Amino acid sequence: MRTLILPLLLAIELAVFLPYSGVRFDSWQAFSSGLGYYLSDIVVLSAPLLILALGMTIVLMTAGIDLSVGAMVTLIAGVMSSFEPGAEFWLKAVPLGLLVAIALGSFNGFLIARLDIPPIIATLGTLILYRGLCSVVLADRENLSPVPAGMGEFPGAALMALALVSLGGAYFARSRLRREILLMGGNRIAARYAGIPVHRRIVQVYALMGVLAFFAALCALAHDGSVNAGWQEGLELKIIVAVVLGGTRVDGGRGSIIGSILGVFLVTVLEVGLIGIHHSDWILILLGPLLVLGVWLNTHVNAALRAVRSA
Amino acid sequence: MTDPFRRLSPSLKQRVGFLIFGNLALMGYIWFCTQRTADSSFTDELSRFGPNVAPELLAGLGLTGIIAAGAIDLSIGGIIVVAGSVFGILYEREISPALCFAACALTACALSALNGYAIRLLKIPAIIFTLAGLTFYRGVGLLLAKWVDPSFPGHYSLQKAAYHAPGKEYGGVIMYAALAVAILWEWHGKTPRTWLALGSSAEACRLKGMRTGRTLQSAFLTSGAFLGLAALTKITNQLTIEPSRLARGFELDVIGGVVLGGTNIFGGEGSYIGTALGVFFLYWVGQALIYAGISEYWRDAIQGAVIIAVIGFDCAIHRKRKLMEELR
Repeated sequence: MRTLILPLLLAIELAVFLPYSGVRFDSWQAFSSGLGYYLSDIVVLSAPLLILALGMTIVLMTAGIDLSVGAMVTLIAGVMSSFEPGAEFWLKAVPLGLLVAIALGSFNGFLIARLDIPPIIATLGTLILYRGLCSVVLADRENLSPVPAGMGEFPGAALMALALVSLGGAYFARSRLRREILLMGGNRIAARYAGIPVHRRIVQVYALMGVLAFFAALCALAHDGSVNAGWQEGLELKIIVAVVLGGTRVDGGRGSIIGSILGVFLVTVLEVGLIGIHHSDWILILLGPLLVLGVWLNTHVNAALRAVRSA
Repeated sequence: MTDPFRRLSPSLKQRVGFLIFGNLALMGYIWFCTQRTADSSFTDELSRFGPNVAPELLAGLGLTGIIAAGAIDLSIGGIIVVAGSVFGILYEREISPALCFAACALTACALSALNGYAIRLLKIPAIIFTLAGLTFYRGVGLLLAKWVDPSFPGHYSLQKAAYHAPGKEYGGVIMYAALAVAILWEWHGKTPRTWLALGSSAEACRLKGMRTGRTLQSAFLTSGAFLGLAALTKITNQLTIEPSRLARGFELDVIGGVVLGGTNIFGGEGSYIGTALGVFFLYWVGQALIYAGISEYWRDAIQGAVIIAVIGFDCAIHRKRKLMEELR
């Protein structure tokens, strides 16, 4: 049912916001070229969110959550931005950024798997820690991006997101890892008895989130052109809302990458639309109720539907 | 007179002992540092202590009950932003200080109670509902200010001294009075014990006939009363109210203090005295970092690391019990 509702909601959002987004309706040619620019903008702005939503879907499937993604993206971008563009970027910034990304993600996984800290508390803690490290790396500076600009424009960003989400998503959908993760999210004790190395898998999932944060940092840094310590604040909630709206349960055991993709487009179109009508602050208010609505639909409405079907 | 600490578990008693020692050690270090420099005195440091630590402690007292009952409130920072906006709006309209204070405290209290009611009604995990509230309330505070005054410059500047009384002059008094009331209530009252029971086993409470939804709601309502005082002391202790930046990271500082004070993050265990000592400890760690000459850029990272270490330590020592419960 959700696969029908989400595209419908997206179409309604587009119909509401298109007139305020610079698309002209006076001729077919003007409309098609305006629509093309608008959609390419939406895809480019969605690219980092799409990449992160892939990771967040997998994290939520394990009954976890990662609130530190925004801080991770900023810290990785901050580390990479201390290098010059060109050869130094490819030879030093990229390997170091990737290494930092894996370390940050694995640290989250370690806290959750080995110390048994609830994921939301652990990653809220690392959100503060990583934001603090952003201040250490960037101080009050605004560092320029060393990333080739093409990675943040159309079609570079779109291709990167498409490659990661489609190839990664297709592999994940058919892999044994997915089934293990769903079992872990549904019933961790059963997963342990089934011989799944639960702790190792959790660390791997959060490390993967770190790697995806690295790719998202590349896209977003190339697009924005600079980074400071407060960059990408609030990114985590946008991703969680998108993923939950897409049908992934926050208490684990169920998730859909296609739903998450649609959720990301819903959030991006809403955000761009609110900017278009000069009410950008409303996104702060709308994200919370959207998250509550998504969780409520995923738990209560789905349970009611299942009860009706079984009856 | 019965032993007031009789209800504390041995691990909680150990934690209280550790925190008393830790607080004294940090205060000793700061005293030592102030003796070496001419431009600071330990008496000044102590006089600033009450007003500076009051918001975190008051919010911590409220959160202790919620966490002990097995829930959490991540939206306390956002609620303080709404209370701050309400205070700023009334201040700009030159409403009397007493009405501003009352409106600020009641706003925070009402929103916290609303959280409890909505969680009970929608049957959504408190952690998710209040995570959503984290940005929602911040957005409400910001938009409220802009809606009332379309030319809102982004902050309210509080210049009149009369509007600073609860935070700057009476912050310490309010804090100690609230702490005394909370501790007496914990020793002699029944409600805090029902929160502990709910946090220990919601299922057992249901079987006993306890109305668990109502009990959890009472924890949120009580938290609201403390949060109202926290909002009041925080807002009136500063010269500007900036809704977009006010109380950022406040929730984690408070959770860190509560957990450090021995309240089990999974519920079922906790005490007000422990929370007070935990919040004081984190405050003195922050002050000690300043006296140690640590760069301001490093302070957030170090405090974040301390909080993670504290929560990690707490979870690690409760891990064995949790595993046993899972196997059972």
